[in-house]
Amino acid sequence: MDFWQVNVELLQGFGNTCILFFVTLALAVPLGLVVAFGSMSRFLPIRWVTRMFVWVIRGTPLMLQIFIVFYVPGLVFGVQLGSSRMAAALVAFVINYAAYFSEIYRGGIQSISQSQYEAGAVLGLNRKQVFFHVVLLQVIKRILPSMGNEVITLVKDTSLARVIGVVEILKNAEHFAQYGLIWPLFYTGLFYLVFSGLITLLFRFAEKKLDYYKG
Amino acid sequence: MKRWIAVLLVAIVTGLLFSSCGQKASDWAYIQQKGTLVIGYTVFEPMNYTDENGNLIGFDTELAKAVCEKLGVTPEFVEIDWENKVMELNSKRIDCAWNGMTILEELKSNIDFSVPYSENYQACVIRKEDADKYKTTADMTKARIGVEAGSAGETTVQQDENLSQAEVTSLTAQRNTLLELKAGTLDVAVLDGVMALASVGDGTDFSDLMIVPGIKLSKEEYGIGFRKDSPETVAKVNEALQELANDGTLQKLQEKYPSVMVTLKAQ
Repeated sequence: MDFWQVNVELLQGFGNTCILFFVTLALAVPLGLVVAFGSMSRFLPIRWVTRMFVWVIRGTPLMLQIFIVFYVPGLVFGVQLGSSRMAAALVAFVINYAAYFSEIYRGGIQSISQSQYEAGAVLGLNRKQVFFHVVLLQVIKRILPSMGNEVITLVKDTSLARVIGVVEILKNAEHFAQYGLIWPLFYTGLFYLVFSGLITLLFRFAEKKLDYYKG
Repeated sequence: MKRWIAVLLVAIVTGLLFSSCGQKASDWAYIQQKGTLVIGYTVFEPMNYTDENGNLIGFDTELAKAVCEKLGVTPEFVEIDWENKVMELNSKRIDCAWNGMTILEELKSNIDFSVPYSENYQACVIRKEDADKYKTTADMTKARIGVEAGSAGETTVQQDENLSQAEVTSLTAQRNTLLELKAGTLDVAVLDGVMALASVGDGTDFSDLMIVPGIKLSKEEYGIGFRKDSPETVAKVNEALQELANDGTLQKLQEKYPSVMVTLKAQ
């Protein structure tokens, strides 16, 4: 099997890697904000439940969470929630990353000084207006480096989806290794490197764009 | 608002509880009702693998398709992580694990197996003139035995109480053991049954060698794994397998994939 054939095969697995990455990001970023509001809620039961949720999700391995989402409905409750392996992996990834993102958001939101809310109130803005027009942009600027970290971790975490049989690039490369072609396994590292390199550049660009605004 | 959330949560929990103690339909009724047999496999030549065009082929792939046709259900092949096969079965993510699966006693408490349909073993090859001298492994305790270094044959010899007493030489390739046997520097070669069957006997370069009949070391039988307590499904598949053996389909697959040692015979 020549170099290009291997590349074509690996790209098929890389497609799944990309689906996992982009869909998780698209759903976990807003969901994380909801969770962040929950963990800062003044209504105690909601705050308690949300923090419990974040503790459980951050306190258990993502691999275990993937297993639970995929197998437990059938094993314990005898219900079949569709047969898509990709969907199950996505649910686990979105929940997991929303929990991590929520803590980053919370840190960002709570770093904004209380006096800005007070100033907003003096100017006659309600809490919602203060948050979206005053606070949010500063928060985005402050959390960008931490988000970059988490997003790059996500690139590599996509390889965990293989445990329930989602054939992503690493699993794809192992098919080759099984029949004596070992180099594709290590070659996949290049895909991950280029991918995370692009993300690094993207975040650097975004940080620069927001630099005009000294918060 | 908050009350609605509470009501919703209660509804979801009760829903899950009820569905968990719902009616228990038989496994076969469940498969028949959805019309597909979901087959868990891993890429493993010659059982399940892809050809140059990316089509899934292999002995087990074609056999599974033939069985599904007999049963009137559609086969659906799903690549799984082999270590999770029991969990995949119990959560109904797959309906059977079909991938040259060795029937192991340890697995029988969690998996129902079909009849064995093929096998693998380590064979003892000798010179034809020694046919009377070496009939059992007990006759080989003083023989010069050749194996391939690092092969299953080597492990088998080390673990066999009779063969391990013999003078064992580890060579670099299984084929070399046959050459040495022919040259007279070894008395017995222990190698993969598939390779032994293909390499020795009439019409081959090693026509003066033979496999000792009746010695099948480290014998493994291959079967199909189903959910525990699904006797009806197993019976249906066993019946279909037997029909395929009777009408010659199994024979044709054996010819197409000669390295699979089919054991299920026509009745």
